Amino acid sequence: MNLRVVGCTHHEANLDVRQRLAFDRAEAATALADWQSLFPNTELVLLCTCNRVELYAAAAKRGDAPDPEKLIEALIGARQLSRKVVASEWLSLIDSAVVEHLFRVAASLESMVIGESQILAQVKQAYRVAQETGVSGPLMHELFQSALHTAKRVSGESSLHKHRVSIPSVAIAELASCVFETFDDKHVLVIGAGKMADETLRYLREAGQARIHVVNRSRERGESLAKKWAGQFHPWKNLWDQLSLADLAISTSGASESIVSAVDFRAHVVPRRHQRPMFILDLALPRDFDPAVGDALGVYLYSLDDLDRACQRNREARAAELPVAERIIAEEAGKFLAQLRHRASVPVITGLRAGLERPKSSELERLFQRLPHLDEQEKREIQQFADRLVNKMLHPPLESLRDASRNGNPHGLLDALRRLFKLED
Amino acid sequence: MGSGVNMLCFAASYSIALALEVSGLWTRARIRRAALLVAALAGVVAHTWYLGKRAVEAPAAPLASYQDWYVLAAWALAVIYLGAKFYYAKSSMGLFLLPVVLGLIGASRYAATVPLATFQSPRAWGRIHGVLLMLGTVAVLLGFVAGLMYLIQSYRLKHKLSTHSALRLPSLEWLERANSRALRAAAMLVGGGFFAGVLSRLAQQGEQNFIPWTDPVVVSLMAMLLWLVVAEVFRLLYPAARQGRKVAYLTLAAFLFLLLVLVTVTFSDTLHTPDWSPSAEPTHGGTL
Repeated sequence: MNLRVVGCTHHEANLDVRQRLAFDRAEAATALADWQSLFPNTELVLLCTCNRVELYAAAAKRGDAPDPEKLIEALIGARQLSRKVVASEWLSLIDSAVVEHLFRVAASLESMVIGESQILAQVKQAYRVAQETGVSGPLMHELFQSALHTAKRVSGESSLHKHRVSIPSVAIAELASCVFETFDDKHVLVIGAGKMADETLRYLREAGQARIHVVNRSRERGESLAKKWAGQFHPWKNLWDQLSLADLAISTSGASESIVSAVDFRAHVVPRRHQRPMFILDLALPRDFDPAVGDALGVYLYSLDDLDRACQRNREARAAELPVAERIIAEEAGKFLAQLRHRASVPVITGLRAGLERPKSSELERLFQRLPHLDEQEKREIQQFADRLVNKMLHPPLESLRDASRNGNPHGLLDALRRLFKLED
Repeated sequence: MGSGVNMLCFAASYSIALALEVSGLWTRARIRRAALLVAALAGVVAHTWYLGKRAVEAPAAPLASYQDWYVLAAWALAVIYLGAKFYYAKSSMGLFLLPVVLGLIGASRYAATVPLATFQSPRAWGRIHGVLLMLGTVAVLLGFVAGLMYLIQSYRLKHKLSTHSALRLPSLEWLERANSRALRAAAMLVGGGFFAGVLSRLAQQGEQNFIPWTDPVVVSLMAMLLWLVVAEVFRLLYPAARQGRKVAYLTLAAFLFLLLVLVTVTFSDTLHTPDWSPSAEPTHGGTL
């Protein structure tokens, strides 16, 4: 087995370093084409995401496998960086560790947010770029296909990807959707024009075509946010009117103290709502809504702390799924490695069989010449006897080879068989 | 004997489906969902077969007796459950609906098996009376289940408990809509059933041609109808009662009235017996 991976990830390097090492699609294709001349007879794939830059290499023959140090130099050389500047520690793995690592990466067990779903598409794209550039071959094909298959199994057989962990996604997809069946006809009020409001509206837009209304102290910023999401801007003085109409309120005002007190809410909003359910996401720090507002009938008030607790619960739920994912990865990696090792033993098996077939044929020929009175039936019986004998002689070494492939490295046994039976490579 | 075995068959199937629903609180294995669907489907098929057999045996079945009436109401709810399971596969609605289905089947064991007197009255009115009250009962029970789920979901959201747990409930909006519709349908169906019963009585000849307004069954049914009508009027006039927890409370109260009616009907009905007269003894306690 001749697999290598080098690179740096969020475990080894900070964001600045990763950004300096990053390749976009076109740059990756160019770099791969350049490296092909540096590493002939080697298949290459460059995986580049926000959290990792990894160069995978595979060679059919052991002597062709590139030195990891040379791969690292090629990687930093392509970005014209000094090794010391880039990272003190590098990821460098060989053979079975490469397989396990790639399977873990594809299944998002190595991601910064475990269970995130983008990585699978990024792995697919990395392989596609290598394929289009012509630097990948059958080994990489099998390795990456197995990695994608493993990731799909992890996704299907565990709940790792089902628990959301970002605050806006939990707020909309898990909590607001417990209140509203659809967002299409809902009056959504955004108080403030912060980044979190923008992010939450992105998730909300994915969930449905809600009517968005923005109330903000700064007209310019409020109008800009409303325009971006095809909503309507309202001046700050309309806050109570808008709260009375809202089904969902998202508050990110950035004010230094709460802007909606329980007393004001009871006086200006409660009488006009007639207990109509209202979901409030208070994403501001400090809070925009007095926690006592949540005591009103039909009002469900969630602060950043509440949402963070929900995210934490989901992170724990993901962590609880890790053993399932690990088991699948170990199973698939074992299967892949056994296949790979078995393939390495194919030339030896072929040589062994040919080595016994040749004397068998010549001995049979000699025997049939010495016994010309044999009829066809008798010749067939003798032929079958010889075939069975060869098969029975081959069975123990082949079985030992299969066991060695399944359970570990069969190279020792392969070398022994080559020497014993004088097999050529 | 044959009918007893059949009832046991579909009751057992629904019990297995319920056990699988309960197990869903701990495990989400794919095989569980498939097994659940098979159990529920088997229950509905056996249930339908049983009702079909009853229809062949008794001319007025499947509404020939109180027992049939309960079994038919249970069948309607089981069919609704099965449909809901296909549309909302991951929902835990079965945890609430299946106990009601099993409760109705269980109650049918204590219900009279003697033919209802309405069968002897003009057939059309009797049938309309029975069918509308049965559908009204189903509507009240559905409202009760939706109301219960609403209160649990609302409590979880209010107290910031995990909503992404194994107990998966529909959204508050969906439950509120289901509640409102169930309440409205129940008011119309029970009202229609009640008046069809009155007309059925008036259409009879001789001694039975009058309305026994003081009969416990009539009194309890009138109380439920009155409550449903008041609840509906309340909802129309008072906006806060059209949404949120108030609708859930209204449907829960309607369920209590329904329980009162069912207990009265099961244990002290003299009105629907064939030999009814003001002094007649009740004929409850039918067995399979």
